[in-house]
Amino acid sequence: MSTNFKDRNLIAVIGDEDSITGLLLAGIGHVNEQQRKNFLVVDSKTQVSTIESAFQEFTTRKDIAILLINQHIAEKIRPSVDKYQQAFPALLEIPSKDHPYGSSD
Amino acid sequence: MSGTGARENVFATRMALTNTKLRLKGAQTGHSLLAKKRDALTTRFRAILKKVDEAKRKMGRVMQLASFSMAEVTYATGDIAYLVQEQAKLATFRVKAKQENVSGVVLPGFEVERVQGSDFNLTGLGRGGQQIIKAKEIYAKAIETLVELASLQTAFTILDEVIRATNRRVNAIEHVVMPRLENTIKYIMSELDEMDREEFFRLKKVQGKKKRDTAAREATKKAEDAEQEQAAVDPLLDETKESVDLLSSKDVDVIF
Amino acid sequence: MEGLFFNSGTGFLEGIVRGYKAGILSNNQYSNLAQCETLEDFRTQLSATDYGNFLANEPSPLSTSTIADKATQILVDQFNYLRNNATDPLSKFLDYITYGYMIDNVVLLITGTLHERDTHELLERCHPLGVFDTMPALCVATNVEELFQSVLVETPLAPYFRDCLSANDLDDLNIEIIRNTVYKAYLEDFYEYCSSLGGPTAEVMHDILAFEADRRTVNITINSFNTELTKDQRAKLFPSIGRLYPAGNNQLAKADEYDQVRAACEGVAEYRPFFVDMNGAHGSSGDDDLAAASHLEDKFFRKEVHLNKHAFLRQFQYGVFYSYMKLKEQEIRNLTWIAECIAQDAKDRIQDFIPIF
Repeated sequence: MSTNFKDRNLIAVIGDEDSITGLLLAGIGHVNEQQRKNFLVVDSKTQVSTIESAFQEFTTRKDIAILLINQHIAEKIRPSVDKYQQAFPALLEIPSKDHPYGSSD
Repeated sequence: MSGTGARENVFATRMALTNTKLRLKGAQTGHSLLAKKRDALTTRFRAILKKVDEAKRKMGRVMQLASFSMAEVTYATGDIAYLVQEQAKLATFRVKAKQENVSGVVLPGFEVERVQGSDFNLTGLGRGGQQIIKAKEIYAKAIETLVELASLQTAFTILDEVIRATNRRVNAIEHVVMPRLENTIKYIMSELDEMDREEFFRLKKVQGKKKRDTAAREATKKAEDAEQEQAAVDPLLDETKESVDLLSSKDVDVIF
Repeated sequence: MEGLFFNSGTGFLEGIVRGYKAGILSNNQYSNLAQCETLEDFRTQLSATDYGNFLANEPSPLSTSTIADKATQILVDQFNYLRNNATDPLSKFLDYITYGYMIDNVVLLITGTLHERDTHELLERCHPLGVFDTMPALCVATNVEELFQSVLVETPLAPYFRDCLSANDLDDLNIEIIRNTVYKAYLEDFYEYCSSLGGPTAEVMHDILAFEADRRTVNITINSFNTELTKDQRAKLFPSIGRLYPAGNNQLAKADEYDQVRAACEGVAEYRPFFVDMNGAHGSSGDDDLAAASHLEDKFFRKEVHLNKHAFLRQFQYGVFYSYMKLKEQEIRNLTWIAECIAQDAKDRIQDFIPIF
């Protein structure tokens, strides 16, 4: 693990449009050579399976250090989130505009 | 009594006793070292826990501020979400991993690394640019908090794991390894004592036997001596009586 | 003289729009809205206004973007009604109003095409006022070259694009530069058109458009500080109308800090107060130009509302239609702002909207 965590330097996000826009404005957005983005916009029409697969992708990618996910979106894929135990990438649930922070632990 | 607890399967020899004693000593040292490590880690863990808590509260606040600044942008500029999403190309806001050593545990942490980028410099050029810049800054600060929280949380997860492992070891040494070694020592000691006693008893027995043998031998000797004496006296007392036997017994005295 | 024939063609619609204007929220209603604790209260309060039950069918919890969307929809419906009943030259005038939104939409499509996205899904993101019949045709374009050609053929924006840009520019230039270049052409053209209408329309609209142009000029100047936008490029984005033109524009083109912007605006008496009390804030707190600039933007909004309100004081002119749209837009922004403040529990900022009446 210690060999590769130096390569991790991106922050990925799964979140609603407002959160993503703000975070991208700050400059975390990244599109790599394979045209893979490091963010996923979730709205009311997004399928849970899409969120799930994005979550899997971000947690297995080798260049992501931190994965941010809106708390209310994490709720939708709670089993996967709870199952996730790895130290890298660090998973962090963040509050969103419409869903202010409710401490879960 | 030595059979009550678990013990190691050794022959009860002095050699084994010395070895086991050495091992017990090692286990004790190890135990105290590990316990110290655990305490150090726990202290650290508590500190991190406190920091995590603080950081979480802070995150709640900064994120609220941030999304509010986004509302200001929407107010002044309108919807820029799509534009921003499409213009994102290269991350200018990255993190760098760093390491920290706490009692031999490597704790990774993240540091913010910002590159000056011009990705969204012109967004909102005609209208609302200032709000966008402001939102950008506020979000950048918010992400710094998030990054900090993420490092704390990673440290938290790793420390938690390590502390649990250390605890297991400490407990294992305290409750399994050391009692077993102690039991082994007790067992060996008792075995050795037992052997000592047996040896002593055996020696006693041997001595006793020897004494008895000696006594018996002496008794026979005495009896023989007495007999011989009697035999020497008898011919004097009764010469004739002996004459019958003169032929059978080759008596040296007969020569005289 | 123009009053003689105005009513025969436009009297009805002017009546309608003035009627609509009466429905714009009053200060009283705003203060009621600002008292709301939740968005549900907000919905109830709004149903007592001219908005009526427009949110009645929305499922809870309401989101602020739904409120904004629905309110915009009402405005769009009103506008379409006006547009459908209008005759030339008012219909042309109303078309001009939509061009502004159209530019945003086309720019959005260009962005999508540049990044090789499926532009069809962008259609629903477009501003409804800027939607034109042939817009789906633009989505067929797979590269920028094609898109540029379709824009020239299919849209009323053709002259703006043709005159300022080439297909190559779309590839190379920053999308914001494109947007502002086209917008500048649009403003100038609109200005021109209003002049051709003459009479009170020209007078009223010139005031408003000149202000709009100046506002853009100042904003572009301030926003381009410390960016890769060169001063030459910047100067090209300035509309050649407005009260700052030409002397102020020239000064602004060379400006590279906030004080120079202020100096450039000194020439126009009406803009002077915008910068005045900023001076104090500027000197005392030293809290960089950022705060001052966003303050300035606020002032511009206020001024815009003021000008647009004034347009209603004149009769027999088309300015009312434009002004109504702008006021209504501001109202939607206000509503969104208040809703946002309620949703995010930022009561201390809730008064920062700009009351209209």
